[in-house]
Amino acid sequence: MIDFFNSNLVLVQATLAGLVLALSVQVPLRMGVFSFAGAGSYGLGGYAAALLVIHLELNAFEAIGLTMLITAFVGLLLGLVISRLNGLYLAMATVAFDLIISVVAINGGTFTGESTGLYGVIVDFTTTQMFILTLVALVLVALSERGRVGRRSQAVRDDQQLAASAGVNVRRYRLMAFVVSGALGGLAGAMNVMVRTTIGPLDIGFGLIVLALTMIIVGGAMSWKGAVLGAIIFTWLPHFLDFIGEWQNLVYGIIVALAAIFLPRGIHGVIVDIIRSVQRKRRGTLDKPAPDPSDDAGPEELLPTSSGAPSSPPQQPVPGGAAATQLARGAKS
Amino acid sequence: MTVQPTEQGAPTAAPSGNPVLELTDVAVHFGGVKAVDGITLRLEPGLVYGIIGPNGSGKTTLIGAITRLTKLTRGQLLFDGSSYLGLRASGLARLGVARTFQTVRLLPDLDVVQNIMLGFDGRSDRGDAGEPRTAERGSLWGRAIGRSTRPEVADAIARTGLEGFERYYPSELSYGTQRRVEIARAIAMNPRLLLLDEPTAGMNQAERAEISALMRELRSQGLCQLLVEHDVQMMIDTCDYVFAMNTGRLIAEGEPRDVVQNPLVQEAYLGRKWREHA
Repeated sequence: MIDFFNSNLVLVQATLAGLVLALSVQVPLRMGVFSFAGAGSYGLGGYAAALLVIHLELNAFEAIGLTMLITAFVGLLLGLVISRLNGLYLAMATVAFDLIISVVAINGGTFTGESTGLYGVIVDFTTTQMFILTLVALVLVALSERGRVGRRSQAVRDDQQLAASAGVNVRRYRLMAFVVSGALGGLAGAMNVMVRTTIGPLDIGFGLIVLALTMIIVGGAMSWKGAVLGAIIFTWLPHFLDFIGEWQNLVYGIIVALAAIFLPRGIHGVIVDIIRSVQRKRRGTLDKPAPDPSDDAGPEELLPTSSGAPSSPPQQPVPGGAAATQLARGAKS
Repeated sequence: MTVQPTEQGAPTAAPSGNPVLELTDVAVHFGGVKAVDGITLRLEPGLVYGIIGPNGSGKTTLIGAITRLTKLTRGQLLFDGSSYLGLRASGLARLGVARTFQTVRLLPDLDVVQNIMLGFDGRSDRGDAGEPRTAERGSLWGRAIGRSTRPEVADAIARTGLEGFERYYPSELSYGTQRRVEIARAIAMNPRLLLLDEPTAGMNQAERAEISALMRELRSQGLCQLLVEHDVQMMIDTCDYVFAMNTGRLIAEGEPRDVVQNPLVQEAYLGRKWREHA
């Protein structure tokens, strides 16, 4: 096992960096914020970490910590400017942010190394440390999907009016998505540059958006588990498809297209559906869903019926019905 | 006009107290359409109020305006005597105003307990510093992963008769049961004012009676409620005082039976010709 990891160290490191990058896009998408700014934060984080190590000679953890603060702050500023946008407009604005980072990297003179990038980012940072940092980020993201924050994030994604009516400050949550995305993107970029020791314009840019999006489309955008699946699949797939040479991109494209068509919620979504289906079968008889009745009750409902109750379609008994009936009797008595 | 419940539950005129909610000349215009136009009303603590009116009369828009989800064109909104025009909907919810929606709005990827927990999350008294940590509150890990059920949530489940449905997802429930989950979510917010927009739509007669009983029970605990409903019998059974709306304006108000028999209200629902032939 250890031999396997040692002989595939570059792929393992790429998987970890790719996973954190995928999380930086997955977190805002899970909250209904159509942002790809995580890819820009990855580039910004890579360059920031490289500059901090080269010029200020910070150690790995100091550089990573400072980088994450910088990219989180940039994420906050970006969010303050564009978080009111939605859908494609928001997506385009964040793609523009990513492209601006690339343009600055290419035209930054000796500060960014222009088209050749920065070299000699030599710092004591091991794959084990990279794994631990990735694991910490993963656990925090996983916890944010559960409990109070998880429920409120889902409410912000699915129904902003409902979220606001339940006391959720929707704008604050959307801003938080930008900040967390920035921090995660910065972490991914910083870790990557420290294990590669170099960074250049070709390492960042539009390709990162495609990579991150591919990972979470195929893996599943609504959970960290989808990001994990996507990161593993799309880091290791090219390695296993090496034997087909230049046909690799075609197969890669077909897989993404098929996943988008047949797995709209990703592999993780399919697994969740299967689990729920099994749970339903275990529970046995279901309370059958009824069609949404029209809310147009009509004029006849204004007049009380002779029995004192309006007509309504009969429904099958429900498990809670007996208790509720007792409650009703108790309240009446 | 202010009313107080008698022993039999019938309202009588009473001197004005401190209103929970007070609206003055509230208007919501969408371009040239006056959805709500100059509504003035006040709601006293511990009473159940109703709003009736034909479709398009502005009832739901008024609820939207009260809860700050719909932008006001003009008017004043007071909660506990203080203006809340500067608050967003989320801030008002934290003050203690809960609502349900005309169409069921549940989060599809959360089960019943989690949907109701969303309401509990919005409570201003959530996690009081002095509250003892009992086993019922669940472990730190249980709360972190959202698997512990708070007693307040269990109480909301029991009150709405949702025992047995805790781990069901909304898509697995009937429309009426989904409605009850919505009401449970609102109750879990421990509100001081509860706004219910057609809460019994899609429910059968027994379920409607249960919701009506629940509302009366909440009233006995001092909770002020505002109910938008087409079911007149439920209005009569449940409400202390009813407002009737048409074309964005109040056309009548008073005790439920009086309002239902008001000629203006019957004309609004059934038309002038019906009145002439009646």
